[in-house]
Amino acid sequence: MSSWSPSTEGVETLIASDGLGTGALIVVVVVLLAVRLGYGVSQSRKRRERTRAEPAVAVTKPTETGALPVAARRVTPQVTPGERVDDPILAIEHLTVAYGPKIAVDDLDLEIARGEIFGLLGPNGAGKTSTLSAIEGLLTPREGSVLLDGIDVRRHPVEARARMGVQLQSTSFQTELNVRQIVRLYAGLYGVTMTDSQIADDLEQIGLGGEAAKPFKQLSGGQQQRLSLFVAVIHEPDLLLLDEPTAGLDPQSRRQLWGRIERIRADGGSILLTTHSMEEAQAVCDRVAIIDHGTILASDTPKNLIDKYREDPNVRAVAHGEVTLEDVFIGLTGSEVRE
Amino acid sequence: MILLSLARADLLALVKNPRRLLLSFLLPIVLLIVTNGSKATHHLGGALYVMGLAIAYGLVSVSILGYALGVARDRENGVFQRLRVTPAPTWTIMASRLGMQGLANLVMALIVVIVASQMHHISLSATDYLLVLAISVLGGAVFVAIGQALVGLVKSADTVNAAGRILLIALIILGLFGQSGSLGGFWESVSRWSPVGIVMTLFGGVLKLSAWNSQDWLSIVACVGYIVVFAAIGIRWFRWEAQ
Repeated sequence: MSSWSPSTEGVETLIASDGLGTGALIVVVVVLLAVRLGYGVSQSRKRRERTRAEPAVAVTKPTETGALPVAARRVTPQVTPGERVDDPILAIEHLTVAYGPKIAVDDLDLEIARGEIFGLLGPNGAGKTSTLSAIEGLLTPREGSVLLDGIDVRRHPVEARARMGVQLQSTSFQTELNVRQIVRLYAGLYGVTMTDSQIADDLEQIGLGGEAAKPFKQLSGGQQQRLSLFVAVIHEPDLLLLDEPTAGLDPQSRRQLWGRIERIRADGGSILLTTHSMEEAQAVCDRVAIIDHGTILASDTPKNLIDKYREDPNVRAVAHGEVTLEDVFIGLTGSEVRE
Repeated sequence: MILLSLARADLLALVKNPRRLLLSFLLPIVLLIVTNGSKATHHLGGALYVMGLAIAYGLVSVSILGYALGVARDRENGVFQRLRVTPAPTWTIMASRLGMQGLANLVMALIVVIVASQMHHISLSATDYLLVLAISVLGGAVFVAIGQALVGLVKSADTVNAAGRILLIALIILGLFGQSGSLGGFWESVSRWSPVGIVMTLFGGVLKLSAWNSQDWLSIVACVGYIVVFAAIGIRWFRWEAQ
């Protein structure tokens, strides 16, 4: 074994010798080269933005069916418009979320029935995402309670999250993982055992059969959306939370997505979503709530809301012909553009 | 099952990042190559010192540019937010990352020791290997803790990238020139008790156990101190989201 000798003298001597001149120079050059290489943070971000901007792929047969591999669990929606919900899947009481002095959600009450598609509508900064984040347990509310099927989300976050599926506004998975590996990861996190052939079958059903070996960043926007939704419902959640699920999607992809959401509901799932598309909310949601400045301004079925506010002066002022949900929305929240 | 799934994914992400792999091995291997057969090895204090130097710099490189930047990038991309809405407890997300980074450090150290022993004709016993790997784990923990502190104090991935580069160069220059005394007595002391300095001292100590002394023990204490302090900073100020 070679012997160890103190370094100080060695290095000192070496500085004066020929050895360090070349050696240290090369080491320093290599360090600088390594540092220069970095890890491509900016590049990866640019790639991500590029893939999001790409149009979705053409509709394939399996996706036209909208079928997601969710077990059939038929539950009849128990929605009583304008009234309290019997045996709600989600019950929010006096929820207050604050970022320092700024109140994002102010004493909000909300109940969602089993098998219901509920739309949370509001302008930018209204408190939609903060409300969802509080339900998901991503932030701690200042006050209030969130019960998912009776489970307190704050006290038992792991149990609650096991029963909810989430699609965030901007979903990203580890860029190095391919589609199959992402599915395997999230199946594992939810305690779902899936064989390779099951994963392949399920990916085939959502039109990603040929993309199983592709990294997430190489998928088109529509494909990423499909994978995100698939991962969100991989464990057949009782409640699915979707934060602006159609943002950035082309009409074909949006249509497909709504088809899948309908099927999830048909299979017994409850859905809480946020959207800026009033047309879609009117067409798809059983009930909607219009939220602004952290407070719910109105909540009912889209039809009832339109009927209720049809003669409201603010709504009439913005309506062009037949009053729509969008007119009601703008009439209640104002016409000014929010940041 | 949750931790296993996370660990498998993190390992895959680590292995499938060629740039990260390259940087993990580039610096130590190049250091071994440029000192191979030259007077440099002798003057640097011998082949064992060069090997220790190579492992220490490899650990610095992989922990600061690899771990910290990887965490910052995934945080900025929303990867952690996505994981946090699953039933995975937050500690498992970070434990998996740290565990896989520790494994990467160990593999890097093992490869460097094997290459160094071949290249510099060093004969190591099984005990020597184990001790070198043990110090690699300890030293790796020091640098990962520094990386954690960096990513705790700095939110932006771009800033972590820039700060990491500066930190890496500073640590390497301090380690390379500081102990020579060429930067003055003050910097010699700073260098000796710097993270790189104490790890180097420990490598020297375990490879010549007969000369193990109180300075080596103090270096272990200093290692633990660095780990506790930097990890505490990294945990206290770490945010799961970039905004």
